[in-house]
Amino acid sequence: MSFSTFVTDTAGLQKMFEAIISKHETYAPVEKFGKFDYKKVSSLKECNPDSPIDATMSVKPLFFPRASKIIKYEASSAGTSIHETDEDPIAGKRVILGVKHCDARGLQVLEAVNKWDYIDSDFLKRRANTVIFSTRCDKADTQCFCTSLDYDVENLDAMDVAIINGPDGRIYLCARTEKGENFLTQNPAPGSRNPEPIAQEEMKKQYETFAASFRLKMDYKDVNEKMSKRFDSPAFEEASRNCVSCNTCAFICPTCHCFKISDEKIRDTGLRYKSYDSCNNAYFTLEAGGHNPRPAKYRRWRQRSMHKFVYYKERFGVNLCVGCGHCAISCPVNISIFEVVNHVANAPVES
Amino acid sequence: MDYSKEIRDIAAKLFADGKIDVFVGYRMNGFDDNQVPVVITDPKEVSTLVFTEKSVFNLTNYLKTDHTRGKRVGLIVKGCDSRSLNLLLTESQVKRDRLYIIGIACEGVVDDKGVKMQNCTECIVPDAVVFDEMLGSPRGKKDYIVNADIRALAEKGLVERREYFEEIFENCIRCNACRHSCPLCYCAKCCIDQETASLYNGSNTASSAFHALMTWSLHLAGRCVDCRNCEKACPSHLPLHLLHKQNEKVIFENFQNHLAGVEEGERGAFYKYSLKDPDDFIM
Repeated sequence: MSFSTFVTDTAGLQKMFEAIISKHETYAPVEKFGKFDYKKVSSLKECNPDSPIDATMSVKPLFFPRASKIIKYEASSAGTSIHETDEDPIAGKRVILGVKHCDARGLQVLEAVNKWDYIDSDFLKRRANTVIFSTRCDKADTQCFCTSLDYDVENLDAMDVAIINGPDGRIYLCARTEKGENFLTQNPAPGSRNPEPIAQEEMKKQYETFAASFRLKMDYKDVNEKMSKRFDSPAFEEASRNCVSCNTCAFICPTCHCFKISDEKIRDTGLRYKSYDSCNNAYFTLEAGGHNPRPAKYRRWRQRSMHKFVYYKERFGVNLCVGCGHCAISCPVNISIFEVVNHVANAPVES
Repeated sequence: MDYSKEIRDIAAKLFADGKIDVFVGYRMNGFDDNQVPVVITDPKEVSTLVFTEKSVFNLTNYLKTDHTRGKRVGLIVKGCDSRSLNLLLTESQVKRDRLYIIGIACEGVVDDKGVKMQNCTECIVPDAVVFDEMLGSPRGKKDYIVNADIRALAEKGLVERREYFEEIFENCIRCNACRHSCPLCYCAKCCIDQETASLYNGSNTASSAFHALMTWSLHLAGRCVDCRNCEKACPSHLPLHLLHKQNEKVIFENFQNHLAGVEEGERGAFYKYSLKDPDDFIM
């Protein structure tokens, strides 16, 4: 199936966003305390679809909420009764504006684990009911390395509608999935559909300038292979020494998906929640009997980096890191996962 | 403020004399002017050490990790860091004879954008109060000033203030990074991690965030030294200092101008009793 491309300008794009917000349930980056988080918006003025990457939270909580209600329970003398919660995971059709390329890829990567073994229908329904509009990434930030990690710049199929900056103020809107194509057919973008073939050339050139702006580059296949041989490497200990185990990295990561189950009790009634957890947390693997298989910090770091670059890749054929750099930006001591995995991959193998 | 050379020399000498096993300092991150804390065990790495106005993170936080516990540690402390170290010493968390402390007469540090941090503009104790060696020229203590944000908040109405704080709790994602990066949070099992305590429960909700943050701020009342490690760690950029600075103000005004960790060996406001303590709330 071939997808349509529209050519427009900044004013046209603004008009389209306004039309979308007035017609659909729309989410976009909203600023609070200097940080952008994806929230429901009722006008374009409230949000900034071009929010800077270093000050924007991941879009993941709209698909995998920070706290989702599982069940409600009530204890009485007659016994305990369990009820469904009022939370509806299939919140109708919705549109998200200003999603970063890496964030959208994070959702694509997460689909593999949500479709495997236990099928997380909530996540998949939210995915199916959402149309994702990308932001206009045209320059890499200091911590970005998305192009190094199986990022397909030719297809860009992680988002439904990709928005690309062209020369002379032209903006291209490209449907990238069937969902995106249908949406653009029902809500036509301003400007002309399927412009001259020159557009393809211009977009390609744009990708090239974008790819050239990256400070961080790595060969992930090499890293995957080298890391799989360095499970016992002391390099993990060296690289994790200055980590303060604050868990920020996992909580804001667009692909981390570990969770815990906890109850919020008020007298005899309670709500059971599924909330984020982090493998960097010392209690993460603590067993009921008191044994902790990962008591040392470096072992938890090893698990985190090996899961991202080795285990997930072996099982699902894709890295669990999308190179967004959120963890490095938010880290209070400026540790970058890029540096850590490269340090480990280039360490000598234990004989 | 650049003491990189001095610190390298001191650290190299300490290793050569066999006085320390570990040195905790800062190094450049390798691509821009921001820095990364380092825990050095190999004397060869001493040459990477730096100290400038970009050395923001309070290193006393590393005294609670396995890499330094029970070892002889060399450490760099600024004014605020030395106050937290003072409290750790008073609370028997570290032994003074195992530490070699390089104190800095601090001129203030800057954030990522190069702007002087707010706590530095309001700093009361710029010079390290506990040290073995001092770098820079001490300028002495300054008068206590109430935090500008606290003053601004006090002018707002009760409803407006409540709404503002509710917004903070709603934007908290319960990652607990504030607690982990706080040098004075060292409990082996924190009360907000107790799964059976229904108030804290670990769920990622606004009510749970409220209970966790309020408990945290009360446990730090009269102890917080305003180093802002918590704010640096917060991924939601929440103004967490408001929770502590209000406590600081109340304690300063009611408990004989008490400021945490300024005097060596002085206990936290809630650990000591004085006949001068206010008792007008007793009927």
